[in-house]
Amino acid sequence: MPAPDHVELWVHSPPLAKATPGQFAHVATQGMLRRPISFSRLDVDTGHAAILFQVVGVGTRWLASQQEGAVLDILGPLGRGFPAPDDRRPWCLVGGGVGIPPLLAAASQWTPAAQTTPATILGARTASLLLLEENFRQLGHEVWVTTDDGSRGEKGTVIGPLARWLAKNPLGQVYACGPTAMLSAVAATSGQRGDVWLALEQRMGCGVGACLACVVLGNGANGPSYRRVCADGPVFSREELIFP
Amino acid sequence: MNLAVSLPRGLKLKNPIIAASGTFGFGPEYASLVDMSVLGGISVKGLSPDPWPGNPPPRVWETPMGLLNSIGLQNHGVEVFCQQDLPFLRNADTRIIANIIGHTVDEYRRVAARLSRESGIDALEVNISCPNIKEGGMSFGQDPDQAAQVMSAVRAETDLPVMVKISPNTTYPAMIAKAVEDAGADMISAINTVVGMAIDVRHRRPALGGITGGLSGPAIKPIALRIVYEVAQAVEIPVVGMGGISSTMDVVEFLMAGAAAVMVGTITFQYPRRMQEIVAELPEVISELGFDGLSDVVGSALPGRSHAAPVMVEDYE
Repeated sequence: MPAPDHVELWVHSPPLAKATPGQFAHVATQGMLRRPISFSRLDVDTGHAAILFQVVGVGTRWLASQQEGAVLDILGPLGRGFPAPDDRRPWCLVGGGVGIPPLLAAASQWTPAAQTTPATILGARTASLLLLEENFRQLGHEVWVTTDDGSRGEKGTVIGPLARWLAKNPLGQVYACGPTAMLSAVAATSGQRGDVWLALEQRMGCGVGACLACVVLGNGANGPSYRRVCADGPVFSREELIFP
Repeated sequence: MNLAVSLPRGLKLKNPIIAASGTFGFGPEYASLVDMSVLGGISVKGLSPDPWPGNPPPRVWETPMGLLNSIGLQNHGVEVFCQQDLPFLRNADTRIIANIIGHTVDEYRRVAARLSRESGIDALEVNISCPNIKEGGMSFGQDPDQAAQVMSAVRAETDLPVMVKISPNTTYPAMIAKAVEDAGADMISAINTVVGMAIDVRHRRPALGGITGGLSGPAIKPIALRIVYEVAQAVEIPVVGMGGISSTMDVVEFLMAGAAAVMVGTITFQYPRRMQEIVAELPEVISELGFDGLSDVVGSALPGRSHAAPVMVEDYE
């Protein structure tokens, strides 16, 4: 188990294994709605994909109780994932809590820019909830860790290390996933620079763009308008979003 | 077994299973998952004369056997619909029902007039019952005179078959149904969602951005059946029943309560292909229950009909 109440579950499904990091699986549970869960690892060669989720209610508890060999009903891969970075410029991953897993899928597929080491900044409320730190280190990333209570790494949020990285890498590309408050701060910290990509969470219905439940406020062609996290995202560029 | 349904003004469905408005988008969203040509029809998401932004998120919340939503009828307006979505729908081999909404009688009239100029629309569904709109919307559905005014205005603009979608959030839904029948409605669709709310205890606030929302899903099926049963007796025109339908046997219940056809909604979010499965299962289930055809099932549980000897039904609780 990656952290208390967190479960990483492998499924054999060649179509899911071809997902772009940042896309999601919409998993049927015993609830009324499916559960959108992002991919933590993708293995195209063997046709396996892993989803990593926190057990928070009846649906995820049911999913966590599934035994090896169980057959799941999954729609996917759905949504728009992260665009691969421009490999001539450095890039940095910023993950908070259960937003960390899709960044591992990305880190495993992307190549570092020449003469640079990819940077990963991970944040959590407390040390025991910090996901996948060792996995990023094994990929050769330079990893900074922050916790709200200081129980591991720097006390504070991911914004401290991110501001320092941006100061050293003015042309750097940023890929972030985590709670909305964190993404809002990432957007503010990164100023007007381009190449800031944010993966959002929202309560979701259909997962395919039909029900218009999972919207967030964004910039449309004619001013502010709601964007669908499931179909227009879950990954948006910073310019596409409006944070309160 | 022939599942075709004949409705007023020449509206013919290949079977009684229609995708409910608000759960099937404007058509293309489910195209890669659902074979639309298998369905009796689809009712598109509500269309207003001008774009509506919808309500602030969160917009959905699960409840026991139910789903609360507060979408707020977000849509890009009838003009964009005609230009962007209708070409796709014209090529879909199923009946297209355009659900129409407005803040005022005149707004309903404008949408009806605009859609009547287009080919490819087989019927209108006048939504006077959405609980997520503060002005207009549901209030038209709570007053027989206002409901009749909306229907009369729409009738004056179109020769298309028109159904009026009525609300459960009123003491006597059958009175509203009778009023719109007298104003020229060809069919009644019943029911819209049941107004409700949930509290997000972690954040100490209402769970939905719109505060209250509309409850759908199996939790409301008994409410829907009771209203369909009452309305079917109060009006002469056909009733299209909906509310929590998740299985073939649910469809049979609505048919027996007097519905000539049904709409299926919330279950599609979880199982997009459930409507297709129901279409496939329906003939066998109808036969097993001792009926020769679909039309024999419709209204068979209404007062005055002779009740059959009990039939053994598998997996029936």
